[in-house]
Amino acid sequence: MTNLLEFKNVKYFYQTKESEINALDDISFSIKERDFSSIVGPSGCGKTTILSLTAGLLVPSDGEIILNGKPIQKNDSRIGYMFQRDHLFEWRTIWQNIILGLELQKMNKNPENLAFAEELLKKYDLYNFKNKKPRQLSGGMRQRVALIRTLVLEPELLLLDEPFSALDFQTRLKVCDDVYDIIKSEKKTALLVTHDISEALSMSDKIIILTKRPSHVKDIVDISFEGASPLAKREDKEFGKYFEMIWRNLV
Amino acid sequence: MKLKMTKKTKNISYSKARKQYLRKIKKDKVWVLFGQIAIFVCFLGLWQLFADFGVIDAFFFSSPSRIVSTIIDLAKGGNLWIHIWTSLYETIIGFIIATLLGVIIAILLWWSEKLRRIMEPYLIILNSLPKIALGPMIILWVGSGTGATIVMCVLICIVITTISMLNAFISCDSDKLLLMKSMHANKFQILFKLILPNALPDFISVLKINVGMSWVGTIMGEYLSSKAGLGYLINYGSQILKLDIVMASITLLCILAAGMYLLVSPFEKRYKK
Repeated sequence: MTNLLEFKNVKYFYQTKESEINALDDISFSIKERDFSSIVGPSGCGKTTILSLTAGLLVPSDGEIILNGKPIQKNDSRIGYMFQRDHLFEWRTIWQNIILGLELQKMNKNPENLAFAEELLKKYDLYNFKNKKPRQLSGGMRQRVALIRTLVLEPELLLLDEPFSALDFQTRLKVCDDVYDIIKSEKKTALLVTHDISEALSMSDKIIILTKRPSHVKDIVDISFEGASPLAKREDKEFGKYFEMIWRNLV
Repeated sequence: MKLKMTKKTKNISYSKARKQYLRKIKKDKVWVLFGQIAIFVCFLGLWQLFADFGVIDAFFFSSPSRIVSTIIDLAKGGNLWIHIWTSLYETIIGFIIATLLGVIIAILLWWSEKLRRIMEPYLIILNSLPKIALGPMIILWVGSGTGATIVMCVLICIVITTISMLNAFISCDSDKLLLMKSMHANKFQILFKLILPNALPDFISVLKINVGMSWVGTIMGEYLSSKAGLGYLINYGSQILKLDIVMASITLLCILAAGMYLLVSPFEKRYKK
């Protein structure tokens, strides 16, 4: 399959009052369509910076980021962003939260878009909670709503910024499975950043390992497992081997 | 049907501990209410008794019965309604103007970070300045009477409204802002769909504070210069040494302020988490 996202020699400098910080030093990698890729690296290595650059919230100091043959624009509408916390708006119902993006882009009168939103809700067992407020839902369900809120806008690429880190371990494994299922069945391309090696391993087809700041790509590992779901992958024999390899690469 | 059945059986099979717990809650509630009423009755009763038996001088301390008869006399004279209406009018108008203007200024300051940084020292000065110091100037500028009182009332409420609302606006989660930006919200949409609804609980707190503050402003304004109003009545009563009038006015003030607070509190229950 073709490359959906390409980072070509991307550099990024942060400006602070005290100094200029070299956050990214020559990052190059590419992601295939419908692949699930992860970026792992030591904390403060600029993982989130890479996501912000991809989303067009920041502009690279040097180099190019290409999505589907076209360079990334400011606030690129081809990107969907999912955060550490669900950030559902408490004053809106689940349905109103889900169509927030449509509303902002004045597409909430379009019956096709609304039907798609409704279909997603039904498909992922949230339709009965349509008129509930976010606080009436469990952490896992809220995260699913947050994912659907992004999917409604039909992004070409999904960015996931440690989307499970605010959940407790049990919920985390479950939601990890759910989100993986949804992304795969909607045939989406996803880029996840995380500091959790096993999480990255259990979800990804490809893992990009970054070094400390100023970071560059240390290694790119292709992952192939027998297991279908993230949970099943965690039980695979190869899991430990991969884990150790990546862990050694990080330190 | 099945659900109903289980609910019913649940009702019957409350455990002993649960029953005890529910009983305790009910009992506590009764005691609190009883305490509140007891304080009210004792306070008024003792005050009346002490005044009747000469323990305190009713000329200086008044008494509940004298307050009631003063209020009735004032009401018969017809002036009472003018005083109540004047104060109420000034307070409500001041409250509304201050709240609206304060929120609008806060929105402007949120909108432009540069403006916010420029205005910061002035806001600090205005906040710490005792607004009553401006009294004489207000009278010179807008003349004495209702206008001056409303201005005083607005001055007292507006700075704290602006500062509280601005703090609420800028303390909005940065990831929520990022979320809105990643979905292409423009600044107006961010304001109306995120910043304002997100600050609603803070707005309700501000409303509650302003109920109290606007009464302070009104009474202060009326002390300074006025021809009518409860503040005027208090001032007048003390000058002619009729403490009954002072006490009666204070009693009415308590009732009005509590009434306004009660009008605001349903919003709190509805919107505050």
